[in-house]
Amino acid sequence: MFNKLIADSLSRSPWLYHINTGSCNGCDIELVACLTPRYDAERFGFKLAGSPRHADIVVVSGPITSQSKDRLIRTLEQVPRPFCVVSLGSCPRSGNVFKGSYSVEGPLEKYIHVDVSVAGCTPKPEAIIEGLYQAARILKEKRLAIQQERKEAD
Amino acid sequence: MKEFIVHFPVLAVMVLFLGAFLAEIFGFRSRIARRVILLSCVSVSAAMIFALIPAVFLRGEVLTYWMGAWEPAAGYAIGIGYEIDALGLFFALLVVTTFCLSAVYSLRYMERDRHLGHYTTLFLMLCGSVLGLVLTGDIFNLFVMVEIMTFAAVALTAFRGSSHGALEAAFKYLVIGSIGSGMTLSGIALLYLQCHTLNMAQLSAVLSGGLTPASVFALGLMTAGFGVKAFLVPFHTPAADAYTAAPSSVSMVFSGMVNKAGVYGLIRLVYTVFRAMDRESLQITLIVLGTVTMFAGVTMALAQHDFKRLLAFHSISQIGYVITAVSLGTVLGVSGGLFHAMNHTLFKGLLFLCAGAVYYAAGTTDLDRLGGLSKKMPHTTAFFLIGAFSIAGLPPFNGFASKWFIYQAAWSRAVSTGNFFYTVVTVTAVIVSVMTLASFIKVTQAVFFGQLPAQLSQVREVPLTMRIPMAVLSLGCLAGGLFYPFVSETLLAPAAKAVFTPSVYIDAMMGAGTAQAAGVTDAAAAALAVPGTWDPVLWLILLVIVLLAFFLVILTGEKTRGAVLDDGGQEDDGRYATFFGGERALPSHVSGSDLFWGFRKNWDGYFRIAQGLHSGRVNDYASYAVIGAVVLIIVIFLIFGFR
Amino acid sequence: MELILKALGTLFSVLIYPGFLFVSAVGLLLAGFDRKVLARMQKRVGPPLLQPAYDFFKLLGKETLVPSRANKAVFLAAPVIGTASLAVMMLFLPIFGRAPLSLRADLIVILYLLTIPAVALILGGSASGSPFAGIGISREMVVMMAYELPLILVFLAVARKTGGSELCFSLERIVAWQAEHGPLLFHWAMIPAALAMLFVIPAEVGTQPFDAAEAETEICEGPLIEYSGAPLGLFKLNTAIKMFLMTALFCTLFLGGSGVTVTLGPIWLGAALSALLNTLILLALCLAVTLLCMTLVHAVTARLKIEHLFRFYWTVVAGLALISLILVWLGL
Repeated sequence: MFNKLIADSLSRSPWLYHINTGSCNGCDIELVACLTPRYDAERFGFKLAGSPRHADIVVVSGPITSQSKDRLIRTLEQVPRPFCVVSLGSCPRSGNVFKGSYSVEGPLEKYIHVDVSVAGCTPKPEAIIEGLYQAARILKEKRLAIQQERKEAD
Repeated sequence: MKEFIVHFPVLAVMVLFLGAFLAEIFGFRSRIARRVILLSCVSVSAAMIFALIPAVFLRGEVLTYWMGAWEPAAGYAIGIGYEIDALGLFFALLVVTTFCLSAVYSLRYMERDRHLGHYTTLFLMLCGSVLGLVLTGDIFNLFVMVEIMTFAAVALTAFRGSSHGALEAAFKYLVIGSIGSGMTLSGIALLYLQCHTLNMAQLSAVLSGGLTPASVFALGLMTAGFGVKAFLVPFHTPAADAYTAAPSSVSMVFSGMVNKAGVYGLIRLVYTVFRAMDRESLQITLIVLGTVTMFAGVTMALAQHDFKRLLAFHSISQIGYVITAVSLGTVLGVSGGLFHAMNHTLFKGLLFLCAGAVYYAAGTTDLDRLGGLSKKMPHTTAFFLIGAFSIAGLPPFNGFASKWFIYQAAWSRAVSTGNFFYTVVTVTAVIVSVMTLASFIKVTQAVFFGQLPAQLSQVREVPLTMRIPMAVLSLGCLAGGLFYPFVSETLLAPAAKAVFTPSVYIDAMMGAGTAQAAGVTDAAAAALAVPGTWDPVLWLILLVIVLLAFFLVILTGEKTRGAVLDDGGQEDDGRYATFFGGERALPSHVSGSDLFWGFRKNWDGYFRIAQGLHSGRVNDYASYAVIGAVVLIIVIFLIFGFR
Repeated sequence: MELILKALGTLFSVLIYPGFLFVSAVGLLLAGFDRKVLARMQKRVGPPLLQPAYDFFKLLGKETLVPSRANKAVFLAAPVIGTASLAVMMLFLPIFGRAPLSLRADLIVILYLLTIPAVALILGGSASGSPFAGIGISREMVVMMAYELPLILVFLAVARKTGGSELCFSLERIVAWQAEHGPLLFHWAMIPAALAMLFVIPAEVGTQPFDAAEAETEICEGPLIEYSGAPLGLFKLNTAIKMFLMTALFCTLFLGGSGVTVTLGPIWLGAALSALLNTLILLALCLAVTLLCMTLVHAVTARLKIEHLFRFYWTVVAGLALISLILVWLGL
């Protein structure tokens, strides 16, 4: 019962940590727009956290430039499990208009498994919320999977 | 045994002086002889003092001892007498505890120094003089002890003469200390002129006939003189340098007993000899001195960059608490003051030993060059935290218990007299307590937590003989806080009673009935009653219950939660590195001087003035001392009138 | 037998009511109300009422990372000790005159017990070894120095008002006095002190605009930056419990009284009913105070800089408390 409560809570209270890897800022302001009164993502318990140690969902925007690659990897390492990665906008998935540039080292898939990908340049806030909501569901599944693993290990 | 015990007070002092003598002769070359002499002398002396506890504290006797059996004849005390009442023995207990632990600590701590024969001699002389000072019943003997104490202390300050500032500190101490001694001596001379006796009990009896201007002058001079010894503002200036420059085992002795000697002298003087504390204006004068001392000490401490210097200013500040409380003139106030004096000996001794351990291990006490020592020195860190919590007055440690006594004493004076001044005192005391906490947070962050500088990577925990005294003091800090009702019943109540019953003191020395004949009557002093309620043991038990429940939950939950504690991290593993916004974890440490900016900014003007006043020039310091003494004497004349 | 019953009673009171479980539940609920009402003030729907509880349970399920630079023992012990000390503190606060142990600690002790969780947070942050945390603990300490002055002035004003020329730090007596003379809030000389106390509460709890210590946008939540998983959850719980404790302290000091007594049926039923009613009244009052001094202020102000915060508390808030103290001193 306690486990179920924790798993439920995971999907109800996902805290976001946002990494900008050279994005044009379009996605970033749309993400923040989700928290405004009009869209109010806090309804679902979403909250922006200040440190990757607090994060449940890491939101990555931008095409992953060479400058930001190491920093992205380092930050992703520091997030406690279970966590989800959401790619925001087209850039992290495909490089978008920056694809082929000498300084772009995307896509994000190369470095970490992406759980949810929100497409668009920029995605609409509604789409972002939908994506985050799905990520929260995945978070719960991940938690249950970890439990299963532990049970089998015992 | 009974016949033998009467000699213990004087023997306890003699043994130490004898040891000083022997150490100079035999301890010059041989390390073993030196250590044997040091340890045997302090332990024998301490054992003798502890043997006096049953008689004085449990049976309530006042022990007297006449040197050479020169007892008073025809009502005049010619010989030198020792008189041990509960107050004297209370301070004697503090003294012996301090020097025993300091002696054990110094075995390893001082091993890298040279001329240890001299160190042993000076150390034992310092111990003997302070012990003699609190046990003697003769005011000139008291002065002699003050002098020995001052000069031994000056020499010990300069002991590490090659280190930065030691000689300068010793010189400042010498100058200011001599001003104090000179004033004390003049005061004693004036008293002798007036009363034709040097025995404190007899002085008290004679002075009950009323104070002549000369004796008022003597009171003023001696108050200022002992104020210098207790390092009250504005006489506190040499303390900071001396405590910093002296080896830590000596700094501990300075704050544990040398400035307590000043406090003792002041209490003895105003309560027993002059019995002047029934004047509220004198009380207020001393309270003002005490309050200014505690405030100036703590604010200066907040501005320091050196571990030991910070502790030195806290010593000044805590003595301010003691003087404030003692001057309140109520049983609760005096008990609170004595309790705080005792606790100060414990926690400040502990903190100085921790500073010494840091110096021993890392070679510096500069707050800006240390950091992250908690991983290398876990025991020292634990002891330091206990000491810091105690001095900051966190329940359930002893500092809280005594501060709590003091707040209650000050506040009950405030409400019973309706004088707003005491409210200011109460509030200041609370604020000073918070600032104390702040400055120890600063030390904790700067020295023990954060990142270890690369040059300190070889630091190791200090040897066992240095940790044992720290452990003993830590236990004392905890026990004093948890069992404060026991302490207040067995130690404080008798000592406070001794303060308020000068007639008992007189009668014990000069024969029964002397006090009555001289017209000395004790004001009906109330028994020690603590109005507030605080049950630390119960609190601790409840806390432990909750903690146990937590651990049960954690233990049972560990398996099922599926969340693990992941602490296998190495410094170079990015997963466990400190978060720097994605950057590689750079060497970075928030050191002492970077803290409390928001506070410093608002107090800019104050700090500029205060730091300007602490100019480091001995001329300035001497003039503060003289001006302070003059003002104090004038105020005391105004209180008692010129006739 | 009697001893066992007594021990069980103590266990019940320290762990369940009014100890740990009770304060945690109420604290989380209050925090939920705070967030919900804040959202409504901003014309948002807001998170569910149980959101803080979800946050807490979620954090229990996350991994706990101990950074390599941290001192593990202090890092992990700090949140536990902080939370435990808060849970114990509730036993010393009377709920309308009824408290299991209010005779065992007085106002000054409460003042000092309140510093333990703050010190735990500071030590935990310091032990994490992060420079952000270093800045955070520095600010936390300055906040503490800032609110301590008004707080002690308020306490002294209350003690003087209720005690007269006697020393009165006992919470029990303060409540009894209010039962006789009416709540202190309705004595006009005490209104500035009550206002000052209302300002002290958010600083003590650390909510915006007085959250410079944990400013997540500039120093990444300060002392909490390296915390994750259960210890972080405990610190969040800590804040929630503090919210309840501080408001309950306000109610005790300014809105105290004998509460209601129900005489219905057998004695135990009446006692249980009146305890329940009193608790409910206290909760309602706490909620009102929370909304007034935390939610409302949060909704209309932005974060203060740390030096402005300090100045604000030592001038305006301390001034208010001092006015009360002087008025009370003059016998008003």
